[in-house]
Amino acid sequence: MMNILIVIVVLLIIAALVQVVRVGELIYEVKNQDVNKVTDKDNKVQATLFFLIGGVAYLSLVLWQFKYWGVHILPPASSVHGLTVDALMNFTLGLIIFVFFLTQPILVWFVFKYRKNKSRAAYYYPHNNKLEIIWTTVPTIVLTVVILYGLVVWSKITNADVQGATVVEIYSKQFNWTARYSGEDQTLGNANFRLVEGKNALGVDMEDANAADDKITREVHLVVDKPVLLKFRSQDVIHSAYLPHFRVQMNCVPGMTTQFAFTPNKTTTQMKQEEGEKFDYILLCNKICGVAHYNMQMKFIVETQEEYDIWLASQKTLSEKLLTQK
Amino acid sequence: MSIAIKNNRTHVHLLWVGFAGIVMFFAGLTSAYIVRKAEGNWLEFTIPDWFTVSTIVIVISSVILYFATRAVKSDKSPIVFILGTLALGVLFSYSQFMGWSELVNQGVYLTGEGSNPSGSFLYVITLAHLIHLLGGLIALLVSLFSAYQEKYTKENFIGLEITSRYWHFLGILWLYLFFFLI
Amino acid sequence: MSEHHNETFLTKYVFSQDHKMISKQFLITGMLMGIVGMFMSILFRLQLSNPGESFAVLEWFLGDKWAPGGVIDPNMYLALVTMHGTILVFWVLTAGLTGTFANYLIPLQIGARDMASGFLNMLSYWFFFGATIVMLLAIFLPEGGPAAAGWTVYPPLSALPQAMPGSGLGMDLWLVGMALFIVSSLLAGLNYIVTILNLRTKGMSMNRLPLTIWALLVTAILGVLTFPVLLACALLLIFDRTFGTSFYLSDIIINGEMLHYTGGSPILFEHLFWFLGHPEVYIILLPALGIVSEVISVNTRKPIFGYKAMVGAILIIAFLSCIVWGHHMFVTGMDPFLGSVFTFTTLLIAIPSAVKVFNYLTTLWRGSIRFTPAMLFAIGFVSTFITGGLTGLILGDSALDINIHDTYFVVGHFHIVMGVSAIYGMFAGVYHWFPKMYGRMMNKKLGYTHFWLTFISAYGVFFPMHFLGLAGLPRRYYTNSAFPMFDGLTDINEVITFFSIIGGLIQLLFVFNFFYSIFKGTKATQNPWKANTLEWTTPIERIHGNWPGEIPEVKRWAYDYSKPGSEDDFIPQTEPLKEGETEH
Repeated sequence: MMNILIVIVVLLIIAALVQVVRVGELIYEVKNQDVNKVTDKDNKVQATLFFLIGGVAYLSLVLWQFKYWGVHILPPASSVHGLTVDALMNFTLGLIIFVFFLTQPILVWFVFKYRKNKSRAAYYYPHNNKLEIIWTTVPTIVLTVVILYGLVVWSKITNADVQGATVVEIYSKQFNWTARYSGEDQTLGNANFRLVEGKNALGVDMEDANAADDKITREVHLVVDKPVLLKFRSQDVIHSAYLPHFRVQMNCVPGMTTQFAFTPNKTTTQMKQEEGEKFDYILLCNKICGVAHYNMQMKFIVETQEEYDIWLASQKTLSEKLLTQK
Repeated sequence: MSIAIKNNRTHVHLLWVGFAGIVMFFAGLTSAYIVRKAEGNWLEFTIPDWFTVSTIVIVISSVILYFATRAVKSDKSPIVFILGTLALGVLFSYSQFMGWSELVNQGVYLTGEGSNPSGSFLYVITLAHLIHLLGGLIALLVSLFSAYQEKYTKENFIGLEITSRYWHFLGILWLYLFFFLI
Repeated sequence: MSEHHNETFLTKYVFSQDHKMISKQFLITGMLMGIVGMFMSILFRLQLSNPGESFAVLEWFLGDKWAPGGVIDPNMYLALVTMHGTILVFWVLTAGLTGTFANYLIPLQIGARDMASGFLNMLSYWFFFGATIVMLLAIFLPEGGPAAAGWTVYPPLSALPQAMPGSGLGMDLWLVGMALFIVSSLLAGLNYIVTILNLRTKGMSMNRLPLTIWALLVTAILGVLTFPVLLACALLLIFDRTFGTSFYLSDIIINGEMLHYTGGSPILFEHLFWFLGHPEVYIILLPALGIVSEVISVNTRKPIFGYKAMVGAILIIAFLSCIVWGHHMFVTGMDPFLGSVFTFTTLLIAIPSAVKVFNYLTTLWRGSIRFTPAMLFAIGFVSTFITGGLTGLILGDSALDINIHDTYFVVGHFHIVMGVSAIYGMFAGVYHWFPKMYGRMMNKKLGYTHFWLTFISAYGVFFPMHFLGLAGLPRRYYTNSAFPMFDGLTDINEVITFFSIIGGLIQLLFVFNFFYSIFKGTKATQNPWKANTLEWTTPIERIHGNWPGEIPEVKRWAYDYSKPGSEDDFIPQTEPLKEGETEH
C-alpha cells in the first residue's frame, strides 16, 4: 500500500515539474524570445560561475582539505625503505600539486577572460609546432626524472639484501592471519596444503627437520632495526598483506609463495609516544576476499631485542604444540 | 533493409576486422598457455594422430572450396565443391572428437583426477576452434542454399566469397594452433 | 531513398538497422542502467558513512534478507559495489558512450548513408539488450545474491561458490551477461572501423576527419583487439567453475574442504583480465576526448589547436595503453624487472595526455566562448581530467603504489577520470547533439543546474578520497570501524556520502530534461550551434539515408571557425575554398 502511494507521489512530482518547465518556456514564447538561446547574460554568468566555483572555490577547498584532512594521512614510515618511499611520494606529490595549481588557474582564467564578447572576435590559431615541441619535451624531461627516481627506489626495495633476515611466514585465510616463525635454524619447514589437519592449521610438513622449531603465533613481534623477510601464503582466495605504517604490501595467492623484505626502524613504544597510546602497528587484508574482508587483522609489535627474545621464548614450537595434541 | 553501400568491398573488410578479433581471442588463449607452461608442472604428451588427420582434411577442404569460387568465376555451378567442403568440414569435426577420445585413452583429461593444465588447454583451445568452425559450417550451408537458388553470378558472389574467406581463415588458424600445440 | 519496404513499428523502432535509431537504443538503455548503478552507490555509501546504522530506505529497497533491520548485509554490500562497477564501466561508459556516439556520429560526420552493415549493427544492439536482461537477472534472481567479488572478479573468490554466496549463480549469470556484452561490442566495433575507412564521402580524407571520428576509430580498433582477450579469460574461468579445470585455481582449502584443483594460477587471470582491463579505460576515455574536442572548438569559435598533434596523441595513448596493464599488478609479487617496465610505460602515457590538455587550454585562449550546457561539461572535463590524470602519476609509480594500491586513493583517481571526466564527455555529447538527434533543444536552465550541482558534488565526493587513501584506508571495506586507526576518517566519509546523494539525485534532473525535451522541447533549427561538421547539413526531420539528395562533398577540414577573410565565424566543411584561400 505504502509502495503504491510512493509511486503515485513520484509520478505527481514529475508531472508538476513538467508543468513548471513548460510554464517557464511559455513565458519566453509570450515575449517572443527563445528560451534556450544562450544569451550574453548567460555567458557572463556562467563564465563568472566557472571562475568562482571551478576556480576560487575549488582551489581554496583543495587547500582547505590539505590543511584539515591532510592531518589524517599516515605518519612518516616506520621502516628503512619506507622513508625512501615517503621521500619519493613527497617529491611526486609536490610535482603534481605544482602542476595542478598552475594549470587549473590558467583554465578558469581563460574560461572567464575569453567569454564571448561582442567587441572581440576569436583568434584563428590552428597550430604551432614550436609550442607542441615545447610541451612535449618538458613533460618528457620531467617524467624521465620521475621514472628514474621511481625505478631506483623500486629496485632497492625489491632487491633488498635478505641475508641474515628473520624469516616469518604470514599465512592468510578467510578471515584471519597466522604467523610462523622459523625458529633457531632460521629456516621455515616445508609446508603443503594437503597436510593441513587439526592443530597443524598451516600444513607444515613435520617430517622436515626444519619444521620442528617453527613457532606459530597470532601476532608478530619484530626487532627494531633488524631486517625481516615476510613470506606469504594463502589457504583459499587471494588476500593482500597490507602493513601501511611500514609501507609494505604483498598479495597472498593460493598456490604460490610471495615475499617482502623490510627493516622496521621505530618501536611500538616510540609510536605510542608520537601517535597516542591507542596506536598499534597493524596488518590488514587489502584484496577483497569475502564477507569479512573488512575485519582481517593481526597486530605487529616492534620492540627491542630483549623484549623480543622474552616473547619468542614464551611461544611454543610446532613440535611441542602438535605433540601435546596427541 | 540495407541502404545501397557505395563500396562493395566493405563486407570483406568487415570480415578482416572480425579475423583480427578472433586472432586476438586465440592469442589470449595461446599466450595463457605459454605463460602457464613456463611455470612447470606441465604434463608432456604427443598430440593425437587424429589431429594430423584433421589438418590434412581441413587443408583439402580449403582447396576444394577454392575450386568453388573458381567455378563461379567461370559461370559454372559451385554446388558440388561447396558440398565437398561441407562434407570435409563434418569429417574435420569428427576427427576432432576422435582426437579427444584418443587423448582420454592416452590418459590426458580435461579435468578431474589425473588431469593437468597442459591437457586442459589443449581441449579448450581445440574446442574453441571447433565452435568457430561450426559457424563456418553454417556459412557453408547458407552458401549451398544460395548456390542452389542460383544467386551467385560471375560478377557478384559476395556471399560465397565471405564464406570461402572465413573457411580459409579457419584453416590457417588451425594450422597455427596445430603447429603451436605439437 | 524510398527503395525500402514499408517500415513497421518493429522494423522502425525495435529491430531498426538505421544507425540513428540504434544509437538512441544504446543511449536510453545506458541511461537506465546508469540510474540503477548510480543508485547502488548511494545505498552502499549510506553504510560506509554510518556503519551499522539503520536506514529505512535500505530495507525498503533491499528487502528483509539483504538489509535486515535497515542495515546492509556485508555480502550484499560487496555485491552492490561489484554490480555498480560492472554496470557503470561496461553498460554506461562503454556501451552507453561509444554505442551512442559512434553509431550516431560516424555515418553523419563522414558523409555516409549508414553503417557498412545495418544488420550487424542491429545485432550489436540486440546482443547488448540480451546482455542487459541477463545482467539484471544476475542482480535479482540468485538466492545468494549477485556476483560480489568486485567488478574485477579475481578467482578463486569469483570461482568458488563456497568462498562467497555471490560466486554461485550470481557469478554464472555475470559471466553470461559479460560474454553477450563482449559479442555486442565486437559486432559494433567491426562496423565502426570499416565504415570510417570505407564509406567516407568524396573529399573526406583522413586528415579532414573531425577529431571525434579519429577518437572513435581508434577506440573501436582498441576494442576489437582487446575485448576478445577478456572473452578468453572468461572462458577459462567458466571452465574452472563448471568443469573443474585448474586454469586459475590451485592448493585451496575452503570452509574446511580441501579442493582438488592443482597447478592453476590466479595471477594468470589477472594478466588476461587487465590486458583488456587497461585498454578498456581508454576505450572509455578516448570517445570522451573526441567529443570534448568537438564541443570546445564549436563553442570557442576557434579551430581545435594542434589537430595533427591531437591525432598523434590519440594514437600514442592507444598504443601505450596496450602495454601498461601490469600497473594493476604491482603488488602481486611479479618479477621486479617487469614492474619497472610497466612503471616506465605507464608514466609515459602522461606525455600525450599532457599535450592534449595544453592543446585544449590553447584552444580556449583568445576564443569567444559560448556557454552552452555542453560547453560547461566540456570545460568541466578539462578540469577533472587534469585532476584525475595527475594522481595517475603517483599510482603508476610502482614504489609508490605499494602503499596506495587498493586504497581509496585509487578509487578517487579512477572515479575522477572515468566516473567524472568521461561522464562529462558523455553529457557534453548528449547536450550538444540532442538537437540533431531529436530535432528539439534541451532545456538550458535545467542544463545549467544539472552541470553545477554535478560539478560541485563530483569533486565533493571524489577529491576527499585521496586523503582516505593516504591514510591507508582500503577499498571494498564494508565498514571502517573494525580498525581504530580509521576512526578519525568519519567526517570525511560523511562529507563524501552527503555529496554522493546530491550528485546522484541531480542526475534525475538530467533524465527528466532529456525525456521532457524529446516531447516538449523547443524546436531546433538545422544548425543551432553554427558548427562546420557534416551532421549539421542534414535536415531536421532526420531521414533514412541521412541526406535527401546526393551526399555532400567535403572541401575543407572541420575547424574553420573565425577564419580571417570569412564573413561568418564558421565555414562548413562543404564550402569550397575561395580563390587564394589555403586550407589551414
